This record gives sequence, C-alpha cells and structure tokens, in this order.
Amino acid sequence: MDGGMSYQRFPKVKIREMKDDMVKFELRETDASVANALRRVMIAEVPTVAIDLVEIEVNSSVLNDEFIAHRLGLIPLTSDRAMSMRFSRDCDACDGDGQCEFCSVEFHLRAKCLTDQTLDVTSKDLYSSDHTVVPVEFSDPNDPGEQRGIIIVKLRRGQELRLRAIARKGIGKDHAKWSPAATVTFMYEPMIRINEDLMDTLSLEEKRTWIESSPTKVFDLDPVTQQVVVVEPELYTYDDEVIKKADAMGKSGLVEIEAKEDSFIFTVESTGAIKASQLVLNAIEILKQKLDAVRLSDDTVEADDQFGELGAHLRGG
Amino acid sequence: MGKQAMGNIAYNQLRRMDTLLYLLVYPQRPLLTTKTIELVGYDKLGAGQNATVAVMSYSGYDIADAIVMNKSSLDRGFGRCIVMKRYSVVLQKYENDTQDRILRLDRKGYGAKHMRILDDDGMASPWEIISPQDIYINKQSPAFTRGTRVPPSELPNIRYKSSKQTFKGPEGEYCVVDRVALYNDRHNNISIKFLIRHTRRPEVGDKFSSRHGQKGVCGTIIQQEDFPFSERGICPDLIMNPHGFPSRMTVGKMIELLGGKAGVSCGRFHYGSAFGEPSGHADTVEAMSEILVNKGFSYIGKDFLYSGITGCPLQAYIFMGPIYYQKLKHMVLDKMHARADGPRVLLTRQPTEGRARNGGLRVGEMERDCLIAYGASMLIFERLMISSDPFEVQVCRICGLLGYYNHHLKTGICSSCKKRDGMSTMKLPYACKLLIQELQSMNIVPRLKLAEA
Ligand SMILES: [Zn+2]
Ligand SMILES: [Zn+2]
Repeated sequence: MDGGMSYQRFPKVKIREMKDDMVKFELRETDASVANALRRVMIAEVPTVAIDLVEIEVNSSVLNDEFIAHRLGLIPLTSDRAMSMRFSRDCDACDGDGQCEFCSVEFHLRAKCLTDQTLDVTSKDLYSSDHTVVPVEFSDPNDPGEQRGIIIVKLRRGQELRLRAIARKGIGKDHAKWSPAATVTFMYEPMIRINEDLMDTLSLEEKRTWIESSPTKVFDLDPVTQQVVVVEPELYTYDDEVIKKADAMGKSGLVEIEAKEDSFIFTVESTGAIKASQLVLNAIEILKQKLDAVRLSDDTVEADDQFGELGAHLRGG
Repeated sequence: MGKQAMGNIAYNQLRRMDTLLYLLVYPQRPLLTTKTIELVGYDKLGAGQNATVAVMSYSGYDIADAIVMNKSSLDRGFGRCIVMKRYSVVLQKYENDTQDRILRLDRKGYGAKHMRILDDDGMASPWEIISPQDIYINKQSPAFTRGTRVPPSELPNIRYKSSKQTFKGPEGEYCVVDRVALYNDRHNNISIKFLIRHTRRPEVGDKFSSRHGQKGVCGTIIQQEDFPFSERGICPDLIMNPHGFPSRMTVGKMIELLGGKAGVSCGRFHYGSAFGEPSGHADTVEAMSEILVNKGFSYIGKDFLYSGITGCPLQAYIFMGPIYYQKLKHMVLDKMHARADGPRVLLTRQPTEGRARNGGLRVGEMERDCLIAYGASMLIFERLMISSDPFEVQVCRICGLLGYYNHHLKTGICSSCKKRDGMSTMKLPYACKLLIQELQSMNIVPRLKLAEA
C-alpha cells in the first residue's frame, strides 16, 4: 500500500498476576479491535489435543457409548506439544486417517468393578502412549496434596469399561473441547475522578450511603481523613450506580467515570491444557501467522487464488 | 416438566421398552424452584437445564420467538438428548398351522451389505450401528396362510416369502441398536422388540421452552467468541429477544432470572413463587436483589456486556442470568421434508400428502388466492396442473364428450358419435377428468365447449 497515514502503534503489556492456570495483565496503547482479536484467538484458535475418536470394546456401564465418548472428549489433556503437532487432516505420514505418531496420541482405558464398592472411573485411568500428552491433573483446593481425576463414569459390581481412544490436535472453533480457555475476558480500565469540592459538601452519613450504593467495593472512606477515596477502580463494573445515586442526592457531577479506550485489563484462565501464560503467547503467535498469511500473499501470484478480491485490494487494485 | 419436555422420566428409564422415549443427556435440577416442585419430587428427575440467558437482540435470527444458541455450550452438552425408538416384530401363527420364521442370514450375495448388523440368529445384535435400509430382522412368512392345514412335518416344504424388516431412520445419522428383547404376546406369538437409540445435539429448528410457556425454536447457532461477554467472563448459553416479554407479561420468567442469578451467586436454591408473603416460602424480589448487590451485581439483574465481535461495550445493560430451559420433543430432524418428485395417489394421480408418504406440499386455496391476486397465471398453471396431475384427453368438438385415442389408427375417436374427425387433444387435470366421469355415472352430462385459443 502506498503512503497514507500509519496507524501503527506499539502496545505495552504489564503482567499483574501469573499462576499456572491464570494470568491477569494490562494491555495498553492499543485499540479494542486488537484486544478483542487476542481474546477471540485465545478462545477459538489456539490448538490443543483432545480425544476425538473412541473405539469401545466393552461397555456394560449405565452410560451409553456416545455419552462416554463425549465425556472423554471434554477431558483436557496437556497440550504443550500441540503447537508443533500436525492436524490429522493435513498429515502426510498417515494419509489423513489420523492414526500416526505425528498427529495423534493413543489412549487405553480398562476398568472393571470387582467389589461391592462403586468404582469411579476417572481421567487417571486413561493410559497414554505419549507421556507428554496426559489428562490434566488437578487437586482439591481444600486438600492440595491429593490429585483427583475427572470422573468419567461410575461402575457397580460386575460392570466393565474397556476402550481405545485417539487424541488429535484441534482448535476451539471446531469443537469447544479443543479450546484451552476456560475464561478469557477483558475490561476497559476505568478512570475515576472524584469532584473533591462537591464531595466535601457531603456529610459523613451521606458519604457512607453513597459508597454503599456501588454494588462493588470501588470507593471507601479513609479512616483518618474521613475522605472518600477510590480503593479499587477495577472493581467498577460500569454499572452507573454511583452516578445515579449522586444525581438522586442532588449532587450531579460528584464523580466522573470514563473508560480509557486504549487500556485493557485481561483475565485469562486456562483449562489446564496449557499454562495460561503460554496460552497468551500462543495466541499472539497465531495472530501473527494470520497476519503473515495476508502480508505474504500481498505480492504473490497465488494471492488471487487464496484471497481473491482481498488480495487485489491489498495491492491497491 | 410438561409432557413435551425431555428429561429423566423415571429411575428405571434405561430398562424400559417404550415405543418412543426422549431423554436428556445432562438433566439438571432447577435453580429456582417452588415448594410444590419439591413436594412432588420434580426436582429429583430433571427435565431441563439451567441456561444462562441474555435478554437482548442479536443477529436478527432471534426475531419472532427464535433463540440464538452458543455453539460451545452445545459442544459441552447443552440440550443434548437421546431418542429411543422401539421397533416390534411378531412371529405370527396362521390358521393353517403355518408360522413366520427367522432365517439365518446369507452373508453373501445380493443385499448382503444391508445385513451386516444381523447376528447368526437372524436378528440385529445389540450395540451395532444401524443405518437406513439396514435389515434388522431376517423374517420370512409362509406364502399360503389359509386353507388346508399343513402338518408340522411338512412345514419346511411349504413356500416362504421374505418379509425382512428394514430400518427407516434419518439419513446420515448415527443410530445404535440399544437392546433386543424377546417375549410372548397375548396370542402366544413370539415377539421381538428392538430399541434403537439416537443421540442428538441441538440444531437450528429444534424447539426449546422455559417454564413460563415461552417456547421458541433455535434460530441460529453462533460461536462462543462472537457471543457477548461480561468482564467477569460470563458468556450466555442462549440469547432471547426482549420482544417476548411485553405482550406475554411473563413476569415470572424475570423473577426466575433474578432468583436464579442470586441462587448461583450465593449457592442456595431459591423459591420463586409469585408472592413472597411472610407466610409463604418464596423469596421476595427485594431479598434476591439484595443478594445480587452483595455479590457485586446490579440489583436489577442487568450486566455490562462487551460485544464479542468488536470488543466494544454494548449500548445497553443486558438482563442476564440463569433460566431453566427445557428441550421439547419437536425436533426438525423428525419433521423436515422436501420433495421434487415422488409417489402419487392412484385414484386422482395427484401427489401424496404427508411426510410419511414422501408427499408434496399443497398449494392451498389461500395460496392460490394470493397468486390470482398477483396475477401470476403461469405459476398457478404450473402448480395446479403441470406439477400436479396433468392428463391428456381427446375431446369431441361435436358432442363435447371425452373420447379415446386409438393407437392403431393414431387418431382420437369419439365413442358416442363413433366418429374420428372433430376430435381435439387437450390437457386438463386428471381430477377434472375424474369429475366429468363421476358426473356421467350419476346421469349428468358435462359437455366441453371448445373455443380457439
Ligand atoms: Zn498422521
Ligand atoms: Zn362426439
């Protein structure tokens, strides 16, 4: 493209909190479209591995075959390898039947209840052919020492479940089981300005009722100065309650709240398939690949095949 | 909960042999109940799921009571159901002592590919995947069932004709033979029941309803990333259009949403009866609002949502929270139907009626009136004659009666004038020819007076 105004910006990221399954970060100096693209890619286009094909040998449990297959599919598997794995549909090692080592992982499950005690068949009973792709482990928050599996089915005496499962790489767009994101969300950073002069005209009681009117604890009274202070601006949910309250008290303009249009606070929670931080990095990587796909075809002949009118448009045609 | 809703029907549901059984894969207990529901035990056998509903307009596929559904929710099992259908076969005994029989199958030869699910006993074996046209029982009936008694020793010698039963299920779907049961009916005939199971996920056109009679079909299914979301990360399972409220005045549904939202945020099942009087058990709207505020929600149950497509905040606060939704048993898969060509009724030569007979769709009186008013004469002509029951007749211009065509002489002949000339060939609906003949049989003579076209 020739000339024109450049819209290039240099977004900044500040990590606030980082755990294995959760990250919270700020994304500044960019537009809602960029923030949203990142969110959408995290939900729908970061690949993971999930069980996609189930061959049931014996199933005398109370749940039918499709039921169990569906439950198996939804079990998150550790997918750090997923980015470098192949999609079964474009794997040339197995001609697309999706059963080779480059594009699939095999699992076996054998369980039979022999006692009068109900047997819980969990994700821990799934045996993987590849130690890098195993069911996600999670522990009870009340008892962090013990690892519990995800329950698949319960068996009573004499019931048996025996199956073979193939896990494949996929993306959340095709089926939610491949989505590594449990929650991905962002909010605009609020800018809260209290009109101190007007606030001083309020009595202590009035200040308290005004603070109480917010469903979230955004404001509080300073115990020393008895002044209203903003304690946690991000708890503000853009509910306008405090503004309505101020209007009702006849103190319009007591507080001014504005959403900063170029600052976003992201909360990313992972299913455990990949680390939350890795989820963000993978999403950026995929976003870059998508942009490269457009840019590379900019001047190639195949561009027209691949992008049709869009390709021509990009070349200024 | 009504008779159309799916869910758990009884604790023995998986051991029953109903003709038609609809079950929900993941039924839930309603978040908002009433004392009566608890007393009756309705909450023990769930008949729906607690869906997070956003009351807003989205994409236009939600007008006229349609609902927009979240694809990821469906992937995770929302609205998934099991349809079990029973097919019975009776081995009949006849008056000449003959009897139907089941034959071991011939695994080679013509039609063997539709017999692959048959076991050595000639019946479909349980857990097999069954597709349309597959034979589920290799039955034969005697050719002669009346007259002289055939002694049992001669039974193998009498002729049998095949009466295989073929499965006519939905094309391209995954159906499974769930169970096969043998029993004696009241005439002491051996009877075989096949229970065929089909697990379905919701699709466009499936019917859903809340417990307030607010029914609607699924208008479209949209990816989760396109759905609106809140800054807490809550994303609705379905979107319902607000126009469903004013004329129907289903205040209960709004109370349910509020109560359900309060319920999930504080971890308690609330009662949602209409009147929260002190003597009653219901939770008042005020009480529920208070819980909402304590949990950081707006007291009216509205949330600040961002558009999933643009990432920008939505223009309005959205009333969003859980509502117990039921899947009703009316599903498109059982109803969809189209025909280009197909069977006709013998008497009138018009297309058959109804989905079961692969029938046509009728252009009725009202549709015809519209076409007349519009002046689409060629369209009427096509629909009412060419695509229905066109028939070529020989009309005598002299007497006006219908004649016949003589293939040897290659000409039309009037059977009343006994003449060859003066015959015209014309097209009219077969039903019209039938009317003329019926009238003639009643001694009324309809005569056609032809004019130059
Ligand atoms: Zn492969
Ligand atoms: Zn005549």
